Amino acid sequence: MRISIVVALFAVTLSPLSAMADTVELRLKKLEEAVLRQAEIIDRQQKTIEEMKLMLENGKTAEVRTSVDSSAKNSGFFGGSLMNNPYISLILDAKAQVSNLKNSALEGRGIPGFTSEGSGLRNGFNVDAAELLIFAPVDPYFNLYTNIPVNGDGAVLEEAYFVTTSLPQGFQLKGGRFKSNASRLNSQHPHAWDFAELPLAYRSFLGPEALGGENGVQLTWMPSLPVYTLLGVEALQGANPLLFGDDSNWGPHAFSAFARLSFDTGEESTLYLSPWAMFGKTRTSAVLAADETTGNSFDLRGDSRLYGLEAVWKWNSGPHKLSLQGEYLYLDQRGDLGETDPAGAMVKIEPLKRHQDGAYLQAAYHFNRFGVGARYDRMEIFADTFERSGAKQSFGGKPWRISAMTEYDFTEFSRIRAQFNHDRSDRDNRVNNEGILQLTFTIGAHGAHPF
Amino acid sequence: MLRIIVALFALVLFTAPADAAVKVVATLPWIGSLAKEIGKDRVTVTTLVKTSQDPHSIEARPSMIAAVRRADLLIYNGLDLEVGYLPILMESARNPAINPGNAGNLNCSVYVDPLEKPATASRENGDVHPLGNPHYHLSPANIKKMAIGIGERLAKVDQANAGFYRANTARFVAQVDHKMKEWKGRKLQGKRFVAQHRFFEYLAADFGFRIVGYLEEKPGIPPSSAHIQALVSSMSGHRPDAILSTEYHDRTISGFVSSKTGVKSVIVPHDVGANGSRDWFSLMDSVIKSLE
Repeated sequence: MRISIVVALFAVTLSPLSAMADTVELRLKKLEEAVLRQAEIIDRQQKTIEEMKLMLENGKTAEVRTSVDSSAKNSGFFGGSLMNNPYISLILDAKAQVSNLKNSALEGRGIPGFTSEGSGLRNGFNVDAAELLIFAPVDPYFNLYTNIPVNGDGAVLEEAYFVTTSLPQGFQLKGGRFKSNASRLNSQHPHAWDFAELPLAYRSFLGPEALGGENGVQLTWMPSLPVYTLLGVEALQGANPLLFGDDSNWGPHAFSAFARLSFDTGEESTLYLSPWAMFGKTRTSAVLAADETTGNSFDLRGDSRLYGLEAVWKWNSGPHKLSLQGEYLYLDQRGDLGETDPAGAMVKIEPLKRHQDGAYLQAAYHFNRFGVGARYDRMEIFADTFERSGAKQSFGGKPWRISAMTEYDFTEFSRIRAQFNHDRSDRDNRVNNEGILQLTFTIGAHGAHPF
Repeated sequence: MLRIIVALFALVLFTAPADAAVKVVATLPWIGSLAKEIGKDRVTVTTLVKTSQDPHSIEARPSMIAAVRRADLLIYNGLDLEVGYLPILMESARNPAINPGNAGNLNCSVYVDPLEKPATASRENGDVHPLGNPHYHLSPANIKKMAIGIGERLAKVDQANAGFYRANTARFVAQVDHKMKEWKGRKLQGKRFVAQHRFFEYLAADFGFRIVGYLEEKPGIPPSSAHIQALVSSMSGHRPDAILSTEYHDRTISGFVSSKTGVKSVIVPHDVGANGSRDWFSLMDSVIKSLE
């Protein structure tokens, strides 16, 4: 083999052109070099072939590989298993409530200076909703999620949105109708809450269901960093009746920006921090309840900015789990407060300025299937400005509430929770001492919850 | 503020990765150990689950999302074992490379013929795995397939080093065959055990012993006292060789049954890292020792 190559190379090098230019000695030297180079290449190729042979013999790689048929098997990943496209699950959230207040008193029991809306719970049995979740990948580029709570009033489209799955560089676009991810708590479904209802600050600034499903778009970006970092912005239609409200002049008039940061503080513990903001045009009649003596109602048009800062620390050692969580919310709202008499005639318009805040702190501990937790809510910690025509309003003592709960998970699909609230959110008016028994059941291909 | 955001954006977007090694994220310790064995210094491996944790009840942490976000290759057990946290990691990580169907997503269970695939899957029967028993890694027959699957996938993701990965795979497979001769000599054939959880079925199939009963009546559900009583009385009759459990399981029940029947209770190391095992081979050495 080598000899034939040498002969071939001879023929090439002895071409007339080089023969004219070089001396015989030089040509011979060049020839020798060329032959050596060729030999080297042949050696290398031989080695590779032998290596491959060895591998096939030793590993029987080829044989085992052919016996594997990966295409025929269901990988079982998207929160479900044998369930095929789309994945369906249903979640029932049933509650029973007892309070020292009558239903008539509970219904109109708002938080003076914040909202005129009640909590929505009534004495006796409550079924908030059976949440129907349907979700699946649309194609390699999109996932689609819908959330349709069905209750006595019918079905509503709470959420129906697409999420891109293949954008490069950690970008993701979400659009349709969804619960804003600006705040972590806002995007959680009610069955994932640690207590039967949202913290007081959420009810005060956003309503009993937080911002709720909003039509809009969201862009988020997760840079490739060793520390979990997520940055996002949203443009929303702004339908929330308390913070934004339908606006006849604008299309999307609610916006949000948020950052999420998380890192492990040990093998078994994680810290999560998230500053966020929601801002936009407000048109609402839910801030102030109608005047009891005159019957006049109030309507606000203005601009709102709501800021939040959330911190969560979780420790999970397997059987023992501890989570500490707190959030501070601050509202900056300016606008015109219109007063309308019961006949519908405008009485007056006056400037309104609000600088109010609120916070909650909670702790929950779980041992295997059993859990206990406590939460403290307080409004107007550093800011309690509610100014009408430059005059600060006083609504009485500051709203606060304390809650305690204990729960038992039969499995990850069923849970019973008992909660007690000592609720002074109605300021100097009557206290609401309430007990809530909550049962939550999940069937179908329900996916895991995010952190 | 905007300027800072833009600067940060540019920094992260246009900074070339300094380290050329293939970034592998493995869910379980044995998967991480296998990937390291085959990839050696050409890969960096992040393992999401610690040996001390129950692989059935892991919670997704944002740090896991950050790891999956940067991964070139995500390797997992499959058969729904990671269903409680992996789908949310995949959905949240915004990393198209590791999406199902792409080269960066390797579900090891595609190389296994699952045992105990139920005819019907209802949660009425507890935490059943509708795709079959997911604990297949304590089986030499399966681990060879895993090694080849991982080696081939690494070769696909990092073609420049394909020969290196294949050679390491061949070496690993040869070592399994060599060790298997030694393990086959150990007297496990015909032994009978009672197990806490359905964890040892593939091992039993490879080594010819039998699991004759379970402490768990339904997977993942605490057993009823009637079930335990029936088990105790039947065990007193047929006297199995041992009760098998793992370190993350609650030992009160196995302790109770052991004290009632006099059958010894054995903690079998369940994954790489248990009993001080450094890799899959030393894990299997101590598994087999614990069964003797």
